Amino acid sequence: MRNPLFIAFVFSTPFTLLFILFVASDGTALPFGLAGALTMITTELGLFVWTDLASYKLQNRFQDMVVASPVSPLTYMFGVALSELIFGTPALVIVFALMWSQGAAAGALVAASGVVVLLWTTATSLGFFFSAYAPNTQNAFVINGFITTMLSVLPPAYYSVKVLPAYIAPLAYVVPTTEAASLFQGAIGLGYSIPPVLSLAVLVAATAAMLALVSFKMKWRES
Amino acid sequence: MKALEATRLSKTYRKAKQPALSDLDLAVESGQVFTLLGRNGAGKTTVLRIASTQLLPSSGRAEVLGLDAVKQAKELRERIAIAPQEAETVYPLTPRDHILLSLRMRGNEKRDAVERTQQALEDLELLDVADVNSDWLSGGLKQRVIVAMVVRTDADLVFLDEPTIGLDPLSRRRIWEQLTRLKGSGKTIVLTTHYMDEAEALSDSLVIMDKGRLMASGTPQTVKAMVTDRAIRVDVFDRFSQSELAKYGHVVPIAGRYRVLADAEGARGLGDEAVARRAKIAIGPVSLDDVFVDIVGVREGDEGGG
Repeated sequence: MRNPLFIAFVFSTPFTLLFILFVASDGTALPFGLAGALTMITTELGLFVWTDLASYKLQNRFQDMVVASPVSPLTYMFGVALSELIFGTPALVIVFALMWSQGAAAGALVAASGVVVLLWTTATSLGFFFSAYAPNTQNAFVINGFITTMLSVLPPAYYSVKVLPAYIAPLAYVVPTTEAASLFQGAIGLGYSIPPVLSLAVLVAATAAMLALVSFKMKWRES
Repeated sequence: MKALEATRLSKTYRKAKQPALSDLDLAVESGQVFTLLGRNGAGKTTVLRIASTQLLPSSGRAEVLGLDAVKQAKELRERIAIAPQEAETVYPLTPRDHILLSLRMRGNEKRDAVERTQQALEDLELLDVADVNSDWLSGGLKQRVIVAMVVRTDADLVFLDEPTIGLDPLSRRRIWEQLTRLKGSGKTIVLTTHYMDEAEALSDSLVIMDKGRLMASGTPQTVKAMVTDRAIRVDVFDRFSQSELAKYGHVVPIAGRYRVLADAEGARGLGDEAVARRAKIAIGPVSLDDVFVDIVGVREGDEGGG
């Protein structure tokens, strides 16, 4: 926790959007804002491993030292991913507290925690996948921000998928963040815009697919 | 026992036109300081990266501490440590954090790691900055932190890729002392460097590489003896052309002057002629630096004497 700036970074965009929604809707859109903030925080925490890994691998060569040590790739990946999650914990706790204040039941919050883990695993896997192809740290940082926006602001995370035009909605259904947001919206009492079983199935499938992709594509030793 | 043995080791990077390593054979005895010398792109780092299980060779075999670096990488990683080339400290960790992290990830128990960290900080004279954010340190101090991360590990073989690059002479010698101490404790050290004085001062044996090939190998003395027929170095600063100097010995153009590696007779003849022409010259014994230049040569765009 020597870098409090990163904690502020995690807060900045999701809570800015939450604040705008809250003010613009006179408070009525706060629940949607919370579902969106939770989706965005989780996604950016997962994707951010990309930037860190690019830095460890390309900039300071820390990964070279790790490879030539008894640390296993899985331990290293888990350690890097967990370090991001730790930085995001204050933001997640605040969102969960606000959800509870909006009437979310304890059971619903536990279920939402499970969805957070699934979405975080998917986003983290995606971050690991991209890190294998990062040419430099600068691009990793810029593209990371772009993908976070594409995955958690553009799709229906801060709003319901039902308001999307019919010709776009099918696209949104295949994005894991849409499914996670729908589950968060349900947990907060807004009702599920997609059947929860379907959302959960898509999310689990996306997580499994991303993990498989990472285990296939990630190379601990260069060839 | 051999600490490192490479047999017909080759590596061609994807999209590269030339191989980084070509059928390289080399052997490093246990308990030695072994140095890989060569200009940029000679293949030194590639050898280190293959031997330290970070890179797969295209062909050939690298056996490290009796283990195959490709097939037995997991077992090997328990016994090696590396300070990579151009490694940097990680923001916002302190030097103490770096060393402790390095030891903990190698499996040292916390109490043991804390003690070793303190020793490493003392070894590299980093105690004054032990708990300072590494970003605030000078380049030289950061480099010492990187070296400190490997000097107190239990690794039997330590790889150091240009560990003293960019350091002032005192800091370099501080690292030399640590490498000598490591060797004294029975560890094998494989390092790369551009500094000939460093190679000469530290190495039990060395190789000179160029374009992925082995150009010379042996102790610093035996390698220097490769030019015993030209054991005198004469630097000629003016009044001679390269073709005029060729009859006295092997001529190497260096930074606006000519270096002539000559035998005693050639040096005497050149000295006499230089006096007659009132030319400015300097005479001395050949160094490893001269041998390197003699073996590898000077190409367009090279600076100084290698």
